[in-house]
Amino acid sequence: MSELVISSLSISRSELPVVSEINARVESGSISVVLGANGAGKTTLLEGLSGIIPVASGTIAIDGHEIQKARPGQRSREGLAHVEQGRTIFGQLTTEENMKVALRDGSDLSEAYGLFPELLQRRTVRAGLLSGGEQQMLVIARALLTRPKVLMIDEMSAGLAPVIVSRLMAAVRKLADAGLAVLLVEQFAALALGIGNRAYVLRRGRVVYDGDCKTLLRSPDELHKLYLGG
Amino acid sequence: MNSFLTPAIAGLAAGGTYALLGVCAVFTYRLVAVVNFTGAAIGSAGTFALIALTESGYPTFPSVIAGILVGAAVGVLIGFIMTRWFAEANSSTKAAVTAALLVGLIAIGLRLTGGQHPRVMPDLFPGSAFRMAGVEVTIASVLTIGLAVLFTVLSDLFLNRTRIGLHLRALSDRPLAAELIGVKVRLLSLLVWGATGAFTTFALMIIAPQRSPNFMTLSLLVVPALAAALVGLFRSFWLTLAGGILLGVVEGLASSVDSISQYRSAIPFLVILAVLLWSQREARWDEAR
Ligand SMILES: Nc1ncnc2c1ncn2[C@@H]1O[C@H](COP(=O)(O)OP(=O)(O)O)[C@@H](O)[C@H]1O
Ligand SMILES: [Mg+2]
Repeated sequence: MSELVISSLSISRSELPVVSEINARVESGSISVVLGANGAGKTTLLEGLSGIIPVASGTIAIDGHEIQKARPGQRSREGLAHVEQGRTIFGQLTTEENMKVALRDGSDLSEAYGLFPELLQRRTVRAGLLSGGEQQMLVIARALLTRPKVLMIDEMSAGLAPVIVSRLMAAVRKLADAGLAVLLVEQFAALALGIGNRAYVLRRGRVVYDGDCKTLLRSPDELHKLYLGG
Repeated sequence: MNSFLTPAIAGLAAGGTYALLGVCAVFTYRLVAVVNFTGAAIGSAGTFALIALTESGYPTFPSVIAGILVGAAVGVLIGFIMTRWFAEANSSTKAAVTAALLVGLIAIGLRLTGGQHPRVMPDLFPGSAFRMAGVEVTIASVLTIGLAVLFTVLSDLFLNRTRIGLHLRALSDRPLAAELIGVKVRLLSLLVWGATGAFTTFALMIIAPQRSPNFMTLSLLVVPALAAALVGLFRSFWLTLAGGILLGVVEGLASSVDSISQYRSAIPFLVILAVLLWSQREARWDEAR
């Protein structure tokens, strides 16, 4: 059983506190969804977790092992994968080369192709020429090949057609069911709450809701209030 | 006929050096996104290590190896400064930093090597390789051009066929995304700096005997090198190679015409100006559409 535990985490940007005193956990085999309006601090939280920006205070632990001081590459080797917002493919490399960059001892391209068979036909195509949906599949596949314990995905549905979003959501659920701990950040709530277990809502960098996904899904008014701060 | 051919061929050795330095500049730019003004100065450091060793009586061959290692080490040092403190800076800031480092390296280099008095540089590869249309082609020119071609071919193979090469291409495409999936970004960047430092040093060792070597003149060979890199638009290894050789030949020709030979070192600037103006015209053309 792996888990990510976040304790009293605060992160600043340009000296201003953007994320304050966050407590959260993501357990193996489950999906924790982080919701919040544009600018609430979701991306900042993930960037602090993966080490792109430094944290001001608090701790981040994977299986009890603290990683908040490690560099991003080291956190990746500790089992934390971050799929950034905006589909950060290597545009000059082919689909398969993109995945090969992430290969580790014991990981195999067939796992990635098993999850997203669509990518198999596109394996020799330059990743910059893939569709948005294919690029999103590629960055998730690439993260998986690092053999993570915890997978964090930022806004994977942004700008994609609903049928592709459902396809991606199903794939992410499958990964959690296979034992991965997933932290899913979304601005648009319904689909994410549909596949998630635990939900956190952020407003101005603070957790204003911490509970299960079903409760929120059943009361859209409550969710609306949380977003806007009623 | 020979009155043109002789100086043109005499320019080949310089051309080969410009080409190799230019290809190294393109390599550095493409992989670690730095327009590097210190390239030739790094090579000068290694070359002067060789001079110091041979002057103190050490045999030539081990001194050459030691010099190349010094060049690689200075390259790694500059690379460390760039990756440690300027990794996040934009490309014009990085270029400005390397220009500042160049000034620093020249100052230190001149101080350590006895100022602008030329030093005795062992001619590593004296003599001529073969005759072309009745003109001697020196071993030095064959070697520098050969080394430039070798570096181009090797980097192509290395980048496209090896795992480290794949990581380097990912790094040059998106450094942060590469780091997030565990690519050892800093280590690879230092490797690039070290390798180009070593190759540059060897190229300068070959050409130095023909150049009354003082630390400054050798370091300023970065100007024709960057002119060659510009001909390849900092992308194409082969165009850079051709640009460097051509530049050497044109310089050789210019030195045979009395009225312009005094100005031949301005030729790289003319090339830089011409390429920049031409690429500006392209940009304006794109905007107009
Ligand atoms: N590079 C930055 N420098 C300073 N402030 C930033 C930076 N990036 C984002 N912010 C600010 O941090 C806050 C949270 O942004 P972000 O984490 O991107 O939110 P979200 O992902 O929830 O939309 C916003 O107020 C934003 O203006
Ligand atoms: Mg965001």
